[in-house]
Amino acid sequence: MHQLLKHNGDCLLSHIDGRIKLLTALALLVMVLSAGGWQFPLATAGLCITVCRIRGVPVKTLLLRFAEPCFIILMIVLLKLFFTGTTPLFTFHLNGLQITGYREGLVEGLMIGSRISGAVAVMAALVIFTPFTDLMAALAWLRVPRSFIDITLFAWRYLFLLFDDAKVIYSAQKNRLGYSGYRKGLRSFGTLTGTLVIKAFDSSQSITTAMVQRGYDGTMPMLKQKPFRSVEIAAGCAFLTCMGMLWKI
Amino acid sequence: MVKLLVCAALLLPAAPAHAMHISEGILPLPWAVAWYAAALPFVALGIRQLNVLSRQDLSFKPLAGLMAAVVFIISCMPVPVPTAGTCSHPCGTGMAAILLGPMASTLIASVSLLLQALFLSHGGLSTLGANIVSMGVIGSFAGYLTFKGLRSMGASLAVAAFLAGVQADWATYLATSFELASGIRGAEPFLPLLEKIMLAFVPTQLPLGILEGAMTAGMVVLLKRKRPDILVRMHVIEAGEVKANG
Repeated sequence: MHQLLKHNGDCLLSHIDGRIKLLTALALLVMVLSAGGWQFPLATAGLCITVCRIRGVPVKTLLLRFAEPCFIILMIVLLKLFFTGTTPLFTFHLNGLQITGYREGLVEGLMIGSRISGAVAVMAALVIFTPFTDLMAALAWLRVPRSFIDITLFAWRYLFLLFDDAKVIYSAQKNRLGYSGYRKGLRSFGTLTGTLVIKAFDSSQSITTAMVQRGYDGTMPMLKQKPFRSVEIAAGCAFLTCMGMLWKI
Repeated sequence: MVKLLVCAALLLPAAPAHAMHISEGILPLPWAVAWYAAALPFVALGIRQLNVLSRQDLSFKPLAGLMAAVVFIISCMPVPVPTAGTCSHPCGTGMAAILLGPMASTLIASVSLLLQALFLSHGGLSTLGANIVSMGVIGSFAGYLTFKGLRSMGASLAVAAFLAGVQADWATYLATSFELASGIRGAEPFLPLLEKIMLAFVPTQLPLGILEGAMTAGMVVLLKRKRPDILVRMHVIEAGEVKANG
């Protein structure tokens, strides 16, 4: 998980205003979702992955990010291949049953697959090149309610602590054969969850006490936004115009 | 029907470990927007409730954040599913709904889903609305209503929590199947596709729901044994019930 939660802070893209990156990513996402063919989503995926690789994002990080979407693509392509369409593409026999794959289903499945890969690549590029606090500040600028942002920031801040606690508890349980059978495993998992909840409750009390002593009144101070830079706006617009032309084609 | 079962069996190895969330890009734009529109009122009500509660108790906001982190961690944990031979994950919203109520649980699930979409590619920004509706709204309400209903009928804490966990998980899966079928059907009729998707998920999700129920019951029983004050504070049990049990 730590591998996926890291962001690449040492390149030009990381220093571009978070709001511009977020708006550009959202516009690209809309284009990918509304594209009529498979070419634009795949081109977008290719572009985003290439940029990530050029900027030194490890292949392992990208593979981890794409592992789940790839499984889903596979599942959808299979589902569509065997159940949608009328033009047979291939037929095989399994235990006396005739299974047929259809051309229309394959095309539809691959269309959805290309959309998934394009959208996932856009989000991966956005998150890898944007610090979390910048992303939250950009969401706040987009009028996402402050309470939502506050909770997200709290969750983010204490996620790693709770995750490390969960790992320690899990290892201790495993070393004591806590997962040696389904019955035992269920009990151990319930205990692990309960312990995390207790930790969350206790931490929330101590965090509040510490924050109240520092002047917390129920609202969190948000990062101040710098003014927009015209170069970044121009670059964002130029990029989106090029992608828009590709989308139109 | 036999063909359907064979094909479902073929699809099973591909059933992803994190199928609870609809992946980024699956839903076409109109469906993505429609699910956002369906989710927003519930998230708004959750935020309103949070604001009211945090004015009364300043620790409520940090608590909601930490519970979102717990839900995030729980729904990242691989749980082996005996019938499918694969790993899947619980959703944790039943647990959050029992402790904090369905509205706060919807908000917590939304935060957790946003973090998972951004950093783990589980779910997505375009499918966040759909995932909030299935996991946040339907999962939370199914779990909460089951728990409250059973408790009012005199069921024990463990039984009510177990069935709440089961209901939250299965309801989430039914909703996810519905969303998937409506989003990817193309020109295909809706109901047969829904049937196929549900059939492909059943071998994993049926036992997983039971595992989630056991996890929720285990959590509540542990809290009652070790820290009943938390359950009393969250109005899950009455103070008298703790005293009565010694």
